This record gives sequence, C-alpha cells and structure tokens, in this order.
Amino acid sequence: MKINKSALDEMQTERRNHIGNQMFLLTFYLLLLDAGLYGMGIRWLEYPVNSMVIIILSMSIYLVRTIAANAYLPPKADSKKTVASLLIAIGCSVALAAAVFFFFKNSSAPFFAQAANEHSALILFLVSVVGLLLSLIAAIIRKRNDKNDSDD
Amino acid sequence: MMGKNLRIKAARAAKDMTQKDLADAVGVARQTMNAIEKGDYNPSINLCIAICKVLDKTLDQLFWEGNEYENQ
Repeated sequence: MKINKSALDEMQTERRNHIGNQMFLLTFYLLLLDAGLYGMGIRWLEYPVNSMVIIILSMSIYLVRTIAANAYLPPKADSKKTVASLLIAIGCSVALAAAVFFFFKNSSAPFFAQAANEHSALILFLVSVVGLLLSLIAAIIRKRNDKNDSDD
Repeated sequence: MMGKNLRIKAARAAKDMTQKDLADAVGVARQTMNAIEKGDYNPSINLCIAICKVLDKTLDQLFWEGNEYENQ
C-alpha cells in the first residue's frame, strides 16, 4: 500500500483523533454545565457570548494540544508554504472583515444576534488576543519539541 | 508500552541514514520515526513493511521479538 506523504501520517492521525474526541467531550460537558447553570438562574455571560467562549476555549486547547503532539501539519509541509498560506489567510481575513463592514454597515437586518452586537467589539478583541496567544504558545511548543526530540 | 527498538536504529546506522532520511523515505514525520525507535508508538503493518524495504531487512529482523533475529 502506498503511503500518502502529503497528508498526516498514521501516528499524527491517531493522536489528532484522540485529542479531537477528548475536546468534543469537553465541549459537550461544558455546554451541559452551562445549560445547567442557566437553568438554576446563574448567568455568568450573556447568551451568545457564553457559548462562544466555551467553543473558543475548547478549540484553543485542541489547537495547542494538536501542535504539541506534532499532529497539526503533515510531514511534507514546507515552512515557506506555511508562511505563505498564513499571509494569504491574514489577507483574506482582512478583506472579508472589510467587505462585511462595507456591505453590512447600513443594513438593518440583524446579522448575528442583538446581544452579540452589543459585545461585538469585546468579542473581536478577545478573538484577536486568543489568536495571538495561541500563535505564541504554538511557537514556544514547537521550539521546545524540536529541542527535546533530538535525533539520537 | 514496548521497549526501545534498537534494531531499526542499528539498521539505519548501517545504511548511514538519519531519522529524518528514513522518515522521508517512508513518508512519515521524523517524530513518528523517533517514537517507533523509542517504543512509544506501535506502527501499522504497512509502515513496518515500508521501513523494512528501505532498510533492506525483513519484518522478522526488525520487528519480531526473539533472540534468533537479534544478530542478523
């Protein structure tokens, strides 16, 4: 059987699946806990923000753990390509944000939720901060892994 | 957890290959090759066969746990 060199290898796939299952269960239990707290009258955050925080938290842990387990990029991933794709992703994000702002600036239709609109600046700020923190943590983990995992 | 697989390491060294060379040849990450040599990961039969082909060894010589293949 031919081994696909451009995809994740078997150990990476196994580790990613393992982490994904755990994070799925974590998300499920956190949402369940949140629903329980909501039922008891405890509202730690307004409706859309609480779910977003839980999802972002789970996804962040998933991302960091995946990078730490070296299961994020396939073996053949070229670092130049990775930087290029990162730059393209940043460019597309900025273009998309500008387009959304331009086209929906004067729109009266609620595009997410009223409560979310009130906190949209905070959410945007939090997402950016979380993204930057994740990049930093990922870079540190990658450097540490390369140091520890020497060719002995 | 399995013990260290020193036979892969020896066969690799005999061919003057690094972990990265071997990993590239079989299409896995270097870390995966490292985990196999350290006994932290149990590879699939397809990966075992690929490693054997690159190192010109048989499955028994590299992966069978027994003394009769240790010195081959």
